[in-house]
Amino acid sequence: MWLTSRLFRSYVYRFWLLWVVGKIANATTAAVVDLPPLAFRPGTELVICAFELAVLIAFIRRAHEDILLGNLGMRLPIALAPLVLLHLVLSLALSLLA
Amino acid sequence: MIAGDSITLSLGGRAILQSAYVDAVPGKITVLVGRSGAGKTTLFEILVGRRRPDGGQVRWNGEPVPRPSLALLARRGLFYHPDRPWLAMSLTPADHFALLGRTPQGDTIGVTAWLDRRVGTLSGGELRLTEIALGLARAPAVALLDEPFRGLEPRHREQVAAALRLLAQQGTAVLYADHDVESVRRTADRLFSMEQGATRLVEGFRERPLAEWYHAWPR
Repeated sequence: MWLTSRLFRSYVYRFWLLWVVGKIANATTAAVVDLPPLAFRPGTELVICAFELAVLIAFIRRAHEDILLGNLGMRLPIALAPLVLLHLVLSLALSLLA
Repeated sequence: MIAGDSITLSLGGRAILQSAYVDAVPGKITVLVGRSGAGKTTLFEILVGRRRPDGGQVRWNGEPVPRPSLALLARRGLFYHPDRPWLAMSLTPADHFALLGRTPQGDTIGVTAWLDRRVGTLSGGELRLTEIALGLARAPAVALLDEPFRGLEPRHREQVAAALRLLAQQGTAVLYADHDVESVRRTADRLFSMEQGATRLVEGFRERPLAEWYHAWPR
């Protein structure tokens, strides 16, 4: 129900935009230190993912949508947990394509 | 159902709440009335776990809730309506009802007229009515509403008051905060008066003149 809701889909869209920004920043930094820009480095990916989630949570709180989720009985970390998987799948897919 | 007992909070050396007590009773409309800045919103935020108090307890059905959170209390049957917009602006009211798996209940407050418009395009009054209608659709055990009438025209105020009355008749413990003491006297079954972070339960608030209980706080 939650994963197919329009609210969750709106978070997926916003998270995808954050992933693009995070990936550009990560690739740029990697290129500077002579590492493959789009390679999948698990530790780095988790740090970037945490940063993307922190930004998304800040947006959600600023719009008071955490109250909407609370009224639905959902805690923010649990509601957004599937986005971690999304980040890893996107990054892994990109590294395989590169 | 829900109660805040001996709640204290200081911010920046200033006492915001001083051993405040408030509770909600099933089937009754309880109102917390006080001027702006009296501490009503802060007390409600503590009840739903959005702030941590310095002291005191939140109780649910008489049992202490050590670390209250809105999500936890919502799963037990709480609906919380804060004093600021909290719906997703990019979605429609219909999307929000779908999230709940409900439809507007009997449309007591007329949201069907704008069910498919984006929330961001609704007027302030329509938005507030939609938020309250969502809460009613959940048929909550406890409805906690911070200034539910603010910004509403008289016709909509009547609709919301009727909806709250209906909720109470269905057994919900309704607790709301307001500063309009005259309208509160018409709606409330029970009344807590709040001033400078302290509360007191007022008996006979309909019969007794305001000066005896609302304006009688020491300054």
